[in-house]
Amino acid sequence: MADAEKGFEPKIIAFCCNWCSYAGADLAGSMRLKYPPNVLPIRVMCSGRISPHFILKAFQKGADGVLVTGCHYGDCHYIKGNYITKRRVTVMKDLLKFVGIDPRRLKSEWIAGSEGDKFARVATEFTEEIRALGPSPLRG
Amino acid sequence: MDKLKNHVKELLESGEIAGFLGLIDDGGHPVPYLFTKEHLDRLDAMVVPDFRYPMTDILLRIVRKYPEETIGVMVRGCDDRALVELAKNQRIFPELVRPVGIACTKEMAEACRCSQPYPREIHYGEKVEGVNDRSDLAAVESKPLDERLDYWMGQFSKCIKCYGCRNICSMCFCDQCTLEDETLIMTGQSPPEIPIFHLIRAFHMAGRCIDCGLCEEACPAHIPLRSLYRKVREDMADYFGYVTGMDESEKDPLEFLGSEGYEVPSKIDET
Repeated sequence: MADAEKGFEPKIIAFCCNWCSYAGADLAGSMRLKYPPNVLPIRVMCSGRISPHFILKAFQKGADGVLVTGCHYGDCHYIKGNYITKRRVTVMKDLLKFVGIDPRRLKSEWIAGSEGDKFARVATEFTEEIRALGPSPLRG
Repeated sequence: MDKLKNHVKELLESGEIAGFLGLIDDGGHPVPYLFTKEHLDRLDAMVVPDFRYPMTDILLRIVRKYPEETIGVMVRGCDDRALVELAKNQRIFPELVRPVGIACTKEMAEACRCSQPYPREIHYGEKVEGVNDRSDLAAVESKPLDERLDYWMGQFSKCIKCYGCRNICSMCFCDQCTLEDETLIMTGQSPPEIPIFHLIRAFHMAGRCIDCGLCEEACPAHIPLRSLYRKVREDMADYFGYVTGMDESEKDPLEFLGSEGYEVPSKIDET
């Protein structure tokens, strides 16, 4: 058990919106900022495009954590996508908790295109948080 | 009962409605039946049994076939909430549906743990107060996380993927169903992938579920599905003050931004 945990590398799916957070992730790369390779970004056009079903599918397929990122409030390219995302993620967290999946495995963050450093920081912190939580109970 | 029959008869005779969807006694079994002006004598066999049919589900089929006719329908509290949601989701024109309300008895309300066992307008029965019982949710919430997951995975593993919960649901009216979408979920095999199969449906019920409990009644594996949906329903009320089936003008906060504007309620803004 202890050995298994030592060798545990979390798998984290990060959904990034095209206009802000993916640009933020890109900037983190351009700035040569280091963040853990455990975070696998998936680009979507808007955080509002992230259907709750995508989050569930990520967990079903063995993701240890899911990071949902989008533009800051008021910055959404489609005006209101991130407001809906926030609402959905909140209800989703409660549902996950209700069925016994730690809601800390799902996180939403707002990252602007100019915040490469924030993307790297969030990715690092979240990876550490998930590492501390251990493997997802759904990981087969 | 005579009063109810006369009311329906009047509606049919005056031509206010083209048909009335109710229940009829067929050899001792109450079954759904569309009463029409041509066969008014059939009204004698009309019954109001102490169990339920997904009346609005049947109504949708009739409405699809006769989109321009006004149809009367026998509704209990739950069916009436379904009508409100169907109107919100543009599945029916409320002006083309004439609900005839049945108030449930105390026994039925308690058996269903129904919070509102009466429709907006009552034509039959006495209004009784609803039951507010969240003991099923509290029982799950009293468990630590790992036990909860064991409990739910145990329940979900009983699933035989009959789609009974979806097929009986008054709120499952989509033309395309996520549960049959092969990009999201493994299709064409039984048992289903768990927990995603049940959680997709559970999340979909947020802002949708009218808490009629037919899903649980229909489930041959006795999975306590209703608790899941009651949980998301409770969340919607807690976070957004949104209760389904109450007001046709209110919008689902997960699909629309509501009348309040764009703000995320302060209660949930902790990230």
